[in-house]
Amino acid sequence: MKYTTAAVLLCVTGVLVCTAAVLPAAHAAPSAGGTLKVCSDPDYLPYSNRAGKGFENDIAQYVAGKLGDTVDYVWADSRGHGGFDEFLARNLDSGRCDVVMNMPYGGQEELTTDSYYVSSYVFVSKKAKGYDLSSLSSPDLRKLKIGFESDTPVEEGLQLRGMVTTAKPYDVGGDSGTSPRSVLEDVENGTIDVMITWQPAIGAYLKDFPDLTTATLPNTRATGSPEMYSFPMSMAVRKDDLALKTRLDAVIKANGPQLQAILRKHGVQMAGEGTTIDDSAGL
Amino acid sequence: MSSQSLRPRLCMLATALALTLSCAVFADEQLEQLSHDPNQWVMPAGSYTAQRYSALDQITADNVKNLHVAWTMSTGSLRGHEGQPLVVGDTLYVESSYPNHVYAVSLKDPGRILWSFTPEQNKFAPSVACCDVVNRGVAYGDGMIFANALDGTLNALDAKTGKVVWSVKNTDPMLGQTQTAAPLIIKDKVITGVSGAEYGVHGYITANDIKTGKQLWRAYSTGPDDQLMFNPDKTIDGATGKPVGKDSSLKSWQGDQWKLGGGTTWGWYTYDPKLNLLYYGTGNPGTWNPTQRPGDNKYSMSVIARDPDTGVAKWVFQMTPHDGWDYDGVNENILTDTKIDGRTIPTLTHFDRNGFAYVWDRSSGKLLAAHKFDPIVNWASGIDMKTGRPVVNPAMMTKEGLNVKGICPSSQGSKDEQPAAYDPASGLFIVSTNHVCMDYQAFDVKYKAGFPFVGALVNMYPYNHGNVGGRFIAFDPVTGNTKWAVNDRFQDWSGVLTTKGGVAFYGTLTGWFRAVDLKTGKVLWQFKCPSGIIGNPMTYTHDGKQYVAVLSGVGGWAAIGLSNNLNKATDGLGAVGATASLGDYTNLGGVLMVFALD
Repeated sequence: MKYTTAAVLLCVTGVLVCTAAVLPAAHAAPSAGGTLKVCSDPDYLPYSNRAGKGFENDIAQYVAGKLGDTVDYVWADSRGHGGFDEFLARNLDSGRCDVVMNMPYGGQEELTTDSYYVSSYVFVSKKAKGYDLSSLSSPDLRKLKIGFESDTPVEEGLQLRGMVTTAKPYDVGGDSGTSPRSVLEDVENGTIDVMITWQPAIGAYLKDFPDLTTATLPNTRATGSPEMYSFPMSMAVRKDDLALKTRLDAVIKANGPQLQAILRKHGVQMAGEGTTIDDSAGL
Repeated sequence: MSSQSLRPRLCMLATALALTLSCAVFADEQLEQLSHDPNQWVMPAGSYTAQRYSALDQITADNVKNLHVAWTMSTGSLRGHEGQPLVVGDTLYVESSYPNHVYAVSLKDPGRILWSFTPEQNKFAPSVACCDVVNRGVAYGDGMIFANALDGTLNALDAKTGKVVWSVKNTDPMLGQTQTAAPLIIKDKVITGVSGAEYGVHGYITANDIKTGKQLWRAYSTGPDDQLMFNPDKTIDGATGKPVGKDSSLKSWQGDQWKLGGGTTWGWYTYDPKLNLLYYGTGNPGTWNPTQRPGDNKYSMSVIARDPDTGVAKWVFQMTPHDGWDYDGVNENILTDTKIDGRTIPTLTHFDRNGFAYVWDRSSGKLLAAHKFDPIVNWASGIDMKTGRPVVNPAMMTKEGLNVKGICPSSQGSKDEQPAAYDPASGLFIVSTNHVCMDYQAFDVKYKAGFPFVGALVNMYPYNHGNVGGRFIAFDPVTGNTKWAVNDRFQDWSGVLTTKGGVAFYGTLTGWFRAVDLKTGKVLWQFKCPSGIIGNPMTYTHDGKQYVAVLSGVGGWAAIGLSNNLNKATDGLGAVGATASLGDYTNLGGVLMVFALD
């Protein structure tokens, strides 16, 4: 109130003074930058953690930088009771935070940006065993002890082939206490012969298991059922937040290779790439 | 008649033409001439019409029972072999499934490999290849063999030496794109498509220059008019007879979904030299779940006729708007002259995945007939002849979260890519069909923390959980009448060959290669090949003797759609008779089988 009266007085006394009073305010908004409120799990490596060691953290930092914003994390357990759906409802939909850095492109629950990388589900097994694993229909697979992440397309693919009842389900995505690293340990120690899981979940840990190798699961309709194991991934915002989606799309469009380079540094293998493991992220 | 005497005459004629015409046109005319020589098989579908009919009649309905194996050759690959060999003069050319070995084999010294070629390719192509790493064959033209590798590399090889003349990449496995089709040579162009609609592939068809491989044009299946190479005022919608108008594809999609529009082009290509039109079909839209993509989703599931010189579309016809069942529209379009209502019209006949046999005037795309070619088809009651649209049965529309039971045909369709053949003597089409239905549950793209998920769960089974999974039929697409049918336990997935000798050849998924009497449908002869047959039979002569050849190699389909443990272990569905697994009858293989009379 007081300011307004003063402004009016100043304006009355001279346009120049008014302009002077107005100009600094006009500059202030863009130079201060905004915040990018990122919904993030505080303890889910390799995706994200409070120390910022996950690839979603690096992506968030990079994207915010390009937007001229700073990152403001809103931490919440994405694997707890109610799972990811509850995480979205409580944090993104409620407005506590504005963006999730990693969700499959085209999902209808939120509004997804353009995709910034594509990855796949993979077989993980011991190199020395030389298993011929090119798809779920590979005959070798029927002789092996299979581990798989439950409630993923892999479970359905195994069901279709009558292989699910003898396979071992894991619930990395549903149990806050479990690290994705543990499934690699189970392959290493022989609890299972092959783990079938989403590559970005374990990519960062592969350098610690040099005797393990991965092979990509192909999308297939061999059984008649369309089985999709490759997914384009995006960021996601609230359904009505077209404005933020547009800003994020622009960053993705202009910086695709840079975003993928960040992912690669964390051991994420993108569709069509080899198994060369990069450990420069130092996880 | 000896093929030896015919060729020098053709050569002289061709040479004379060459003096006055450009090399490229010479190549095309010579190629078209050669395709009329029944002693050779110079195009993947035999000829531009794709009738797969041979005028050879040394083998007849009376003597075919004496057919025996003349020679065989392993292709060195165990994956699915969906194509057919070519025979040009004394040489047979064949391409295997991935890793896509190409062989030139001498007919004079059968099985003697003159040269072989295995392309360098992105070894992760198989990872993103959808339905087994098949290949549908090489093409020949201008003294070269054109071979697609799975990763989309198109290699032009010198037909005599196998040396690479040029090499281009037409697809990018990084984007989920692969290549399984056989190219088609039209004049100075090599036509190829792309596979991989299952995720995010924006489908297209490409023309490369035959001499240099340079890309001449590329037309997409969905999106803005310029990418489609549609002229909004001139390109005709065959269903309405009117121009498609501006943005006809864009208007049929929500937002940017057309970019993942699918509409891939991995089937068979045909050509009318008189009308100068290339015909091909497009596949399913990008997302399997129809709830995610309201609208007609043009031009997925469509047949498109294009001028091969410019790439511009003359007409288009969409068979299955807003597809909810994965009925890809890529099946072959066979050129014949059909008598309808007393008039003889140049037509295209197309046995679509959706179970209807479409007959179009091939100059305009006008729909002349569309009957079910399997009576069990129930997702639609018929095709409205005025609008060209299916009359969809609302109970069979797949919906997010809903398990819709008993949809016929299954996603594999009443016929998949396995090409049909035409019998000019009867005017009937001989078709390998699938007789399988499905329960279909469609899901949205979902996310379990750290794990993406999408699926359309499909349980497939022979109609009525019975014993007939496939039917080999003689069908009249004008009347919708089936003259005869051979019932098979599993889907009939091989191509068909018809001959003047009165015999039709096809193969079963269990590996039986059969000769069938064209008049009656009686099985006259059969031979159990090493592996199930999903390739296409062809025929040729050498030293005056007729041979019939087919690739045997069912590939990685041991559990094709009839997995008998589907949900029984988990939810205790009662077994209704044991549905035997294909793995009980056959195994992987990769062999070229060549048969002849004594």
